[in-house]
Amino acid sequence: MRGFRLGLVLTLLLLYTAWAVGPYLWTAVMSLRTTEEILRNHYGLPLPPHWEKFVEAWTRFGFDAYLRNSVVVTLGSIVIVTITGAMAAYAFGRPRYAFRGREPLFVLIFLSIMFPPQIMLLALFQLLAKYGLINSRLGLILVYAAAELPFTVYLLRAFFAQIPVEIEDAARVDGCSHWTVFWRIMTPIAWPAITTTIILNFILFWNEFTYAVVLITEQKSRTLPLAVMFLLGETFVDVGMLATGMMISTLPVIVLYVFLSEWFVKGMTMGAMKG
Amino acid sequence: MALYGAFFLYPVLMTFYNSFHTLRADFGFKTEFVGFANFAEILGEDVIFHRAVLNTLTWGVAAALLEILLGLALAVFLYFRVPLHRFFRVLWFTPVLMSYPVVGIIWLWYFNYDWGAINSLLRLVGLGAMAQSWLSTPATALPSLIVVTTWMWTGFNMVVLLAALHAIPQEYVDGARVDGAGFRQVVLSILVPLARPTIVNLMILSFIGKMKQFALVWVMTRGGPLWATETVATYVVKRAFHWRTFDLGYPSAIAVIWFVIVLALSLLLTRMLQRRELIQY
Repeated sequence: MRGFRLGLVLTLLLLYTAWAVGPYLWTAVMSLRTTEEILRNHYGLPLPPHWEKFVEAWTRFGFDAYLRNSVVVTLGSIVIVTITGAMAAYAFGRPRYAFRGREPLFVLIFLSIMFPPQIMLLALFQLLAKYGLINSRLGLILVYAAAELPFTVYLLRAFFAQIPVEIEDAARVDGCSHWTVFWRIMTPIAWPAITTTIILNFILFWNEFTYAVVLITEQKSRTLPLAVMFLLGETFVDVGMLATGMMISTLPVIVLYVFLSEWFVKGMTMGAMKG
Repeated sequence: MALYGAFFLYPVLMTFYNSFHTLRADFGFKTEFVGFANFAEILGEDVIFHRAVLNTLTWGVAAALLEILLGLALAVFLYFRVPLHRFFRVLWFTPVLMSYPVVGIIWLWYFNYDWGAINSLLRLVGLGAMAQSWLSTPATALPSLIVVTTWMWTGFNMVVLLAALHAIPQEYVDGARVDGAGFRQVVLSILVPLARPTIVNLMILSFIGKMKQFALVWVMTRGGPLWATETVATYVVKRAFHWRTFDLGYPSAIAVIWFVIVLALSLLLTRMLQRRELIQY
């Protein structure tokens, strides 16, 4: 009876797995087949595999530049949002820094998580145009960092608030300055939570589309999500090449996640998401 | 001491403030040019806006419920360490890792009339009569998109809920087991109530996320057919950049109205869900 129930559960879970992963596997298979092969039979196996399509995406379709754009923008915005976010969260989370107006300010930050980005899009477009930051990686970096700052602060604040005051007091008795306490003591303790936000933000920035589609108008400045979108946009849809482009744009995150998922879950379990 | 505090806080808050406020500084003076005429038109006459609101709200409620219930069920199984749980956990999360254009295109293919996986599967099991062009029939277009977001975000909710379940002290579960509680009782009377704050947070987060939905619609249907999948966000962008009215005031007014609605709904939702929580304990 027990064995039977376990079998039933496993079958259901495997079915769910097929549903969750199937679409991506199908794309992966297509990315190794040429468009003619795919049009002949959409569900065939990649025999022989056409690895040269990845080279072609690189040389003929400009994926080297798109990949570089994505990497620069993602890493740049992560550095900014993590450092400013951790500092702000620290100030918001610790009882020592309960300055006047802190709570209203935090409510303001919380509300800005709810802001539909479209509210800011129009204003942002004007603003960036004024400073010549349309089509620039720097522009995107600043926008991304600002957009994800509220959520980062929100997550990290809960974590910093949990750290006992005694640790901080002890360090201060030993003569540590505010900076030393923050960098040498608090940041290492909060590291699991910080890693979680880094991974989360990495996924978000790498895949960001809404801001990019409005703020990037030149071909050479496109990030990977835009590149994929524009491969679709042409009159003749090159299904095979599209699949290859999609693989290029998703593989880095998936590989990264497979390696970091233990960390990610650990950081979450330690209270980063309890809000 | 106070001086030190101020010196530490000041740069922190300045950094924070700057990146935060430049965003909307511009927005403030733009509304002043608009006046109230736009607001009246949007609320009173704009039928497309009304349709977009309805679509977005349907999406928000349906997707929030589906994603979280499914995510919770999956998390519970992982919590009890079914065989292969590590493997499942990583695989189920992968849809979250893809960008909306990638997800959108994959599902465009899945829903393709001639060779998409959905129709092929239906024909394979002899239900070929049910095969249809999912995304270009008004009645099925929005449900199809809801299926896609559910596919995408269930894994995320699953991971967060799993973390919440692991944070529950193991003794509660063990104690209940000793007292003879079955699997169903442990789940329904211990795990779910104790994970409730996380469930509520996720529901609100998911709801808010759908209120901002833009990219998926943009890639898959552009709001069609016949406004069936128009969301407020796509409508704003259409009015701003694609209808060639060159009037940024009107879409901005839509955005403002929408923010107020979303804010009100989120607060209401928080209140409602939390009050019920109070009664339960």
